[in-house]
Amino acid sequence: MLNYIWAGLIVFSLVFALIYDIRDLNQDTYRNGQPLPVTMHFEEPYDASTRRLPVHVHINQTEFQRLYGVSHDVDSIYAGTLVQTLDGRQLQFAKDVSLPEPLATIRSMTSKRENDLRGPVSFEAAAGGAAVTRVPANLSFARVRFVKLTAITQAALDFAQTAVTIAIGLIGVLALWMGLLRIAETAGMIHLLVRFAQPVFRRLFPEIPKDHPATGLIILNLSANVLGLGNAATPLGIRAMESLQELNPQKDTATNSMVLLLAMNTASVQIVPPSLLVAIMGLQVNQLFFSILLTTFFSLIIAVVTAKFLQRTKRFKASDPLLTNQPEG
Amino acid sequence: METVRNLIDLVSVFVLPAFIIGFPIYGLLKKVPVYEEFVEGAKEGFTVAIKILPYLVAILFAIGMFRASGAMDFLTQGLRPVLSFIGFPSELVPMAIVRPLTGSGSAAIVAEMIQQYGEDSLLVKMAATMFGSTETTFYVIAVYFGAVQVKKTRHAVPAGLFADIAAMLLAVYIVRLLFG
Repeated sequence: MLNYIWAGLIVFSLVFALIYDIRDLNQDTYRNGQPLPVTMHFEEPYDASTRRLPVHVHINQTEFQRLYGVSHDVDSIYAGTLVQTLDGRQLQFAKDVSLPEPLATIRSMTSKRENDLRGPVSFEAAAGGAAVTRVPANLSFARVRFVKLTAITQAALDFAQTAVTIAIGLIGVLALWMGLLRIAETAGMIHLLVRFAQPVFRRLFPEIPKDHPATGLIILNLSANVLGLGNAATPLGIRAMESLQELNPQKDTATNSMVLLLAMNTASVQIVPPSLLVAIMGLQVNQLFFSILLTTFFSLIIAVVTAKFLQRTKRFKASDPLLTNQPEG
Repeated sequence: METVRNLIDLVSVFVLPAFIIGFPIYGLLKKVPVYEEFVEGAKEGFTVAIKILPYLVAILFAIGMFRASGAMDFLTQGLRPVLSFIGFPSELVPMAIVRPLTGSGSAAIVAEMIQQYGEDSLLVKMAATMFGSTETTFYVIAVYFGAVQVKKTRHAVPAGLFADIAAMLLAVYIVRLLFG
């Protein structure tokens, strides 16, 4: 199942990226090769020999909308710099300014590192001694194509990095809880929990033998979840999974208990809302106490029933590690 | 109601210290060499994190690509008529699609919706309830199954996703019932 979903995500991102890119090519969204008419305002009179001149770039709204075929507004004045070298003149917008589409995309495609929109600019240099401070000009940009294809490639690389950050970030909290749990196990605390929780959990997890520590760890994991202790819940859940794995004859395949524990975790009852939500909503989150409690209560029941139902279907029965001792291909 | 809330808040403050301090103290009472045992257990933290890594990379980069491709917009458009037919507000469709895929992405959607509709609106209450009631299923699968090197997840994805879908729909109906 996960094989298909995973491959599906990748294939569909390629398909959709190509659809967007071909549409962009067809409509010439970025008007490659067509210059954008702008007006440059110089703070001091224009001087053809100065290398860097600070300018204010004025983009005419009607011309902008007509060129790109869009209807949204454009801020009229942008700070920038005119750079004049022997090779030509280039106009650079100030770094990180907020730009309307498609200029923002053009910037992210053509000046990723600096994040300043830039392009060669052509204008009629003023002749004679007249002090010129206002010059109409034509600004062109480097060619922009296959925006989405570039974006998905970049996303793949970025998120691989994110995964490392997350996994490394887990080390500390994992070590803390693994250490504490080890003490709890040796001291016999988990065993106490097992005896206490067994009557209920025997029905939910019939595969766990009597007095096995897995039950105690599951209890700890689920209660941490209920109390919104995400940081503690994850290591406790992992420890519970490890305990269940001891009972698994086929180490690469999930047992029914593992799937049930996972489903109960994704749909866990919440008495205390997750801290991220508190961070976003502040005290308003208190209003949602009952709605979250009720929703999670029902969704937990649904999760358990679904997992129990699916494990009885023909397909998943055939892959049950506890029923089939033959490793399948 | 207030006292119940206070009590729950109090409990949630005390639970963590109770675990962190209580386990070693209980161990001491039981004559367990607590420091030695702690270090022995904590060793595992590193190996577990490393075990999770490949699973996390696999899941996250695929989801990241999918999000960057603009496929979400297509999905949102496609699902809108179906969902509005069963009384699911179309403003919540992006939330429903993003939630099982990424936690930070869906948190951003809630924050955006607060900006757009205001904290007191029914839509924000629904979105926040959805956020509070469901988990990032694919992330949980990667972390929990990655830690024990389970590759064949069997019915974990359908069960988790079905519970998510149920929670999304329930959130809408329950918020409507309580606040509507």
